[in-house]
Amino acid sequence: MPFTDAPPTGVQAWIKGRPNGVMMVLAIVMLAALWGLDSVSVAANRIVAGSGHASWEAFGWVGVALASLPLLLVLLLAWAPTSSRLNLLLQLGAIILLLILMPVGLVVASHTLIDPQLPQARLSAGAAFWVVLFCAMLALVELRLRLALPRLWIALVMLGVALLWWLCASLWLDRLALVQEFQAREAAFWDALREHLAMVSIAVGVSIVLGIILALLIRRYRGSQRAAFALLNFFQTIPSLALFGLLLAPLAWISANVPFAANLGIQGIGYTPALLALVIYSLLPMVRNTFVALEAVSPDVLDAATGMGMYPSQRFWQVRVPLALPILLEGIRITAVQAIGLTAVAALIGAGGLGAFIFQGLGQAAMDMVLLGALPILLIALIVDSGLGALGEALRQGASDD
Amino acid sequence: MTRPVHPGSAYQPTQLLWPMMWLVLLVVVVLVIPHAQGLFQWLAPEAREVIYQRAAFTQLLGRHLLVVGAAALMTITLGVLAGVVVTRQWGRDFLPLVAQVASLGQTFPPVAVLALAVPALGFGTVPIIVALVLYGLLPIVRNTIAGLKGVDPAVVSAAYGMGMTPGQILRQVELPLAAPVILAGIRTSVTINIATAALGATVGASNLGDPIIAGIVNANNAYIVQGAMVIALLAVSVDSMFEVFQRRLRSRTP
Repeated sequence: MPFTDAPPTGVQAWIKGRPNGVMMVLAIVMLAALWGLDSVSVAANRIVAGSGHASWEAFGWVGVALASLPLLLVLLLAWAPTSSRLNLLLQLGAIILLLILMPVGLVVASHTLIDPQLPQARLSAGAAFWVVLFCAMLALVELRLRLALPRLWIALVMLGVALLWWLCASLWLDRLALVQEFQAREAAFWDALREHLAMVSIAVGVSIVLGIILALLIRRYRGSQRAAFALLNFFQTIPSLALFGLLLAPLAWISANVPFAANLGIQGIGYTPALLALVIYSLLPMVRNTFVALEAVSPDVLDAATGMGMYPSQRFWQVRVPLALPILLEGIRITAVQAIGLTAVAALIGAGGLGAFIFQGLGQAAMDMVLLGALPILLIALIVDSGLGALGEALRQGASDD
Repeated sequence: MTRPVHPGSAYQPTQLLWPMMWLVLLVVVVLVIPHAQGLFQWLAPEAREVIYQRAAFTQLLGRHLLVVGAAALMTITLGVLAGVVVTRQWGRDFLPLVAQVASLGQTFPPVAVLALAVPALGFGTVPIIVALVLYGLLPIVRNTIAGLKGVDPAVVSAAYGMGMTPGQILRQVELPLAAPVILAGIRTSVTINIATAALGATVGASNLGDPIIAGIVNANNAYIVQGAMVIALLAVSVDSMFEVFQRRLRSRTP
């Protein structure tokens, strides 16, 4: 798929020295959010709705001016591009500076706005904060594409920024609601994270094995191809909540009536239906990609292998499989990212994992607890996606170098 | 992604068989559930009430369709518009970013998007529609871009040479040629949205997810099965209708 990474066209248009519309729009949106929206909110305790505070109340006029400076710099640089690369690097520096300033701003706000006499009072990030964060991420993506930087480089920068945020959060941001939620259930958080990752790994592992076996079977019995894919597609269409529900009732019946199964830990509620559903959903992308990967190997290459005197089994293992590996990996990537999201839904049927925080938080109207579940899930999905994507890229390059 | 095009394959009435069958099954199930006391009693022997009573299933189905339909209308309009804008000469600057975000955004799980919409917008139907629109945009934008970029530049030049205006080229040449790919994106978007809307029951919307959530909370398997059957049938019927659309569109494209 050509759209997953580097821009196919338009590179020439960038160098000419025209104003960079994308960065200008992003800088203007960030400035507008900084000056116009509430940047933090303060609540007296966990449940009551917080009252919003504008940026100048939270950081003081000096702070707002300081935060506006990198944005004005980006606006200026994007409006009048000079020699292209230095200009873009300066913009990148300004955006990274902004990301570094953001947690510092929260520390300042927690000192100016929170009354130390109120132990329950807590600070939450407001709309301006999220808008600026989102736009800064977009700006990083844009600048990475324009500078044609490798993924790894930007990953390292983000890791550094994340470490800094973590440091600020653990040392000075004990009044931030998200940090308080985390501290209140630290042990539960790590357990949930472990459960989540374990369920995803088991489901992906099982579906890799099953998917490859099924794809090989479909290759052998060509007549079944249409029916097999129609069936897998049918399962993929069923909404997750419905599939979890439909598996729950029969499994509950089995565990009530078949003692042997109950001893194995098979239950109506919990991780059994969750894992079963995750594997069912994972099969379509796995089987499809394995099948396509094995089919996509060029017949000329296989001919050449035969000409070199390879046996059919050698041809399969030494030619077809290595060439198919990148597409296979793409299948694993899709499967893993999908499973990370679906595992969150599985919390509804008592399977645990980070989704439990989301649904408990929604139930108690405690939005910071929702964030405690949702943000790590987003992060894990992004990390797994970019990690496996980078691995696939490396494999592809390795294949073309040989 | 690319499916083979069969130039000669004409439209066959038997193609409608599957969607018709699923639709009839959906209607039958929705109408029969309130009267199938005995069957559901067997599924949940301990439960006092075995038929979900808080709202009629026809009503839940209607609300579900309304939310998904409203979201689909907005996503299709906005998504195709965005895809068209970034592939025009004057919108080209935004193409790399929009294409990248449309593919990167799909790694975000729909549950997380829904959960994040609630703190920003509150409980109820509005945050669900917003979350559905935001998430549903991605496949449509992505496929619109892919479809429009897949149009052979020689065809566009030929149309230009014939004296067509850019607007005419877009409407009469580019969009019809890109239509199968765009439709595939719409199909993905709607399928995901039917599933995500059901999760909306956890944030206070009343739709087909409601009986499932109520069943899980009260440990009542009968409720769960009722809700799950109707949602599954709805999703499968809508999906098989899209399948027929896609086939007809493909058989029309030379």
